[in-house]
Amino acid sequence: MLTKEQSILHFDFQNQRVHPDRLTRKTHAHYLPLAQQMLAAYRQGVGQPRRTLHKSIRLILQNTDDCSTRRIAAFCKLLDDASEYRKDTASKAAKLRERVFLLAATKHPLVQATDQLFDHAESEVKQQIAKELNREWDEIESVLFNDVIEFHPLIQPPKELDAGGLLRCYNVAQTQAALYGALSMTVWAERDFKQIMRYAKLARLMHSIEPHGTGYRLRFDGPASVVRSTRRYGVALAKFLPGLLSAEGWRMQATVLGPMQQRYALRLSPRDGLRSEVRNDDFDSDLEKSFYEAWQQAETAGWVLLREATILHQGQSVFMPDFTLRHPIHGDVLLEIVGFWTPEYLQEKGRTLNRFRDSGRILLAISHSVAESIPELGMPRIEYNTKLSPARVLKYLKTL
Amino acid sequence: MSHSAFANSVRLAFDQGTLTLSGVSESLLKRLWEPNIWVSDPRSKGWRTDAIHYGEVAKRFSLHLAASWIDDVADWKPVVFPRQNLHSLRRDQADAVNAWFATRRGVVVMPTGTGKTEVALHVIARLGGSVLVVSPVRDLMYQWHDRILAATGIDAGIIGDGVHRVSPISVTTYDSASIHMPRIGNRFQLVVFDECHHLPGSVRQDAARMSAAPFRLGLTATPQRRDGMEVLLDELIGPRVYTQAIESARGKTLAHYDIVRMSVHLSEEERERYKMLGRTVANFIAERRVDDPGYDWQTLCRDSGSDPKARAAMLAFHAKRSIEDRATDKLRLIEDLFRLHAGEPVIVFCGSNAMARDVSLRFLVPCLLSHCRKRERKEILAGFREGRYPVIVANRVLDEGVDLPEVNVAIVVGGGSGTRQALQRLGRVLRKNRFGRACFYEIVTSGTRDEIRSRDRRRSDAFRKK
Repeated sequence: MLTKEQSILHFDFQNQRVHPDRLTRKTHAHYLPLAQQMLAAYRQGVGQPRRTLHKSIRLILQNTDDCSTRRIAAFCKLLDDASEYRKDTASKAAKLRERVFLLAATKHPLVQATDQLFDHAESEVKQQIAKELNREWDEIESVLFNDVIEFHPLIQPPKELDAGGLLRCYNVAQTQAALYGALSMTVWAERDFKQIMRYAKLARLMHSIEPHGTGYRLRFDGPASVVRSTRRYGVALAKFLPGLLSAEGWRMQATVLGPMQQRYALRLSPRDGLRSEVRNDDFDSDLEKSFYEAWQQAETAGWVLLREATILHQGQSVFMPDFTLRHPIHGDVLLEIVGFWTPEYLQEKGRTLNRFRDSGRILLAISHSVAESIPELGMPRIEYNTKLSPARVLKYLKTL
Repeated sequence: MSHSAFANSVRLAFDQGTLTLSGVSESLLKRLWEPNIWVSDPRSKGWRTDAIHYGEVAKRFSLHLAASWIDDVADWKPVVFPRQNLHSLRRDQADAVNAWFATRRGVVVMPTGTGKTEVALHVIARLGGSVLVVSPVRDLMYQWHDRILAATGIDAGIIGDGVHRVSPISVTTYDSASIHMPRIGNRFQLVVFDECHHLPGSVRQDAARMSAAPFRLGLTATPQRRDGMEVLLDELIGPRVYTQAIESARGKTLAHYDIVRMSVHLSEEERERYKMLGRTVANFIAERRVDDPGYDWQTLCRDSGSDPKARAAMLAFHAKRSIEDRATDKLRLIEDLFRLHAGEPVIVFCGSNAMARDVSLRFLVPCLLSHCRKRERKEILAGFREGRYPVIVANRVLDEGVDLPEVNVAIVVGGGSGTRQALQRLGRVLRKNRFGRACFYEIVTSGTRDEIRSRDRRRSDAFRKK
């Protein structure tokens, strides 16, 4: 992630909108070769200190008309984030400094020209110390401050990053940085709720949920947000963004505090083409996957199977059944598949199900091997052995 | 009037830096608070407000609710000190302690070097409750840790610098406090804000707002802030309860001091480069002013985003400052001062890390910079205190509060510090010590902006010679 000092925001005062800096292939095609040069500079710069690498990035970008100091700094940060530097974890530099300074302490002050009072010449003392440590003085000097961040040497340049990838990283990072100043975020989602909620939870955000059209409106902020406007949760919202970007079927609006404490809207949807690295497992288990695939092949009497299409919520606890079965006449039946898991997981599952038992028509499909661990919850249940077949579920649906 | 009808289930709790309240009606809250501090929170189905209100909320409920109410906020207990090894207080320090105890919330203003830490330690010992001490930098945090250990025998918890050890007596920094307060805000009855002028920053305020501590003590020598936000201290900590002016402290607890200002000249080569860079900036601005008479520095900064020429002008300006800051002649002058004060401990303050490293490398004396880890800092300070090192070099790390060994020679090298910074530095150096009169040298580059900045610093009355 970028720092605030590397973030570039364009405020549209007229429409109260904020646009994070964005480099597109259409409008900024000239950045592609520049990105290539930057990556090359890092790849050829193994062993060089961070400061030197940053200088070469500056040289590559300095004559580009629209490349501000901030943009240059942002590229340096992103390249650094994708690289690895040697950090002097063993405090070698500090230990060397201690030896050198203690050896020199008795000779203080080191003077340029000696006289009767002060006879320790700088150059002589340095040579003596070098001899004592059995190293060349120039070499000692070059590593004496090796633990300063600017002097860390590069050991691993960006691996799987090409020019286009660097620009994509840049665009996501600038949008994330725009969220540092955000007070709250609202997401209108049609699907991928589970994924969205999971990442929001990981970012320690609070939410409120309302049905909206065929999907939901989810508002994210933090505990203190109802008491006062606070940017405190901006970083959490920024951390949440990559998770959101990896989902489908949503749009988002964040309220960002801008100049003069004015509020600006940051709007985003998958159509903006921002992508992030977060990888999401499509299904929680192979069991769900094979059931879903089998359903697509089966004759289902008008029942449509939707993945995680319904959110049940009570305050801050949320339950998303694995599937929603939707029928034009019979309405929705929620299907939760309980597989082979640890006793703790099953207990927790039992508690959750119990809490939501009045929230809708829930059908449980429980693995035969654990059926005894899930107490009677007053919900219909079917059992399965190794695989859940659509026929088993349809048989139940016919009884409705 | 009794509210027992709904008082049975009134529950006040701490939730991530806020207070949540359930079981009361809106009308009751409106009666008790004008204006109402409580906000309805649909997410948790109850009322919510900032944790800072806890002391007042508890007081009002105890006064106005006839039946009992559940207080799930305070997670602190009385603290027993294994031993108390406190210095006896001077008159002014005792006055400060007593003034604070009258309200148990408020700011004590005392010049640096007059023993603010002692005042706080006495408050902590007398109160006998759990306490969190918040300081601006890591060094100060560790120093508080040492002082608490010496005074009470308690190995205080540390929250910050990669450590997260919360105990009833803990020390932290402002940055860590504002990050962690949602989790630890109900663990401390008293929060001490050291150098509390750092508190009103927009995020740092949370260190106070998200704490439920009913008792708060702020310590500072310089409550003023450039942004005028110091008015917030009243709300975040409490009113100013004690003020001691620097003038009344001079000569008593602080050493007498001399200020010697010395100019260095740029070398031929530096001067040429300096002039050239200056011309780059001036030409650029002159060129722009042909079309836009109002073209100024701010515009230049803004334009540097889209205009390589403006960017070049800005880089030239920074290069110019770097020449002022790191003029070679400064090193020569420092050598002269080292010769003059050979055998006396000397501290050199630099305006930049680069210059501090220059001095360190030239004279092979230790420098305290932000990259130094705790062990190295301790070793350097102890080595200096015990005479193993004749000189230490520092940058901003030592600006405030860090206890320095006795010293009577300080050299400030350039650096564009504001009034407060210089004042703080001066305060560090001028502790009354066995050397008596202190010497304060300021080295500036003549004929450059370095000089102008130095004159600005002198406007502060601490610099005015008697």
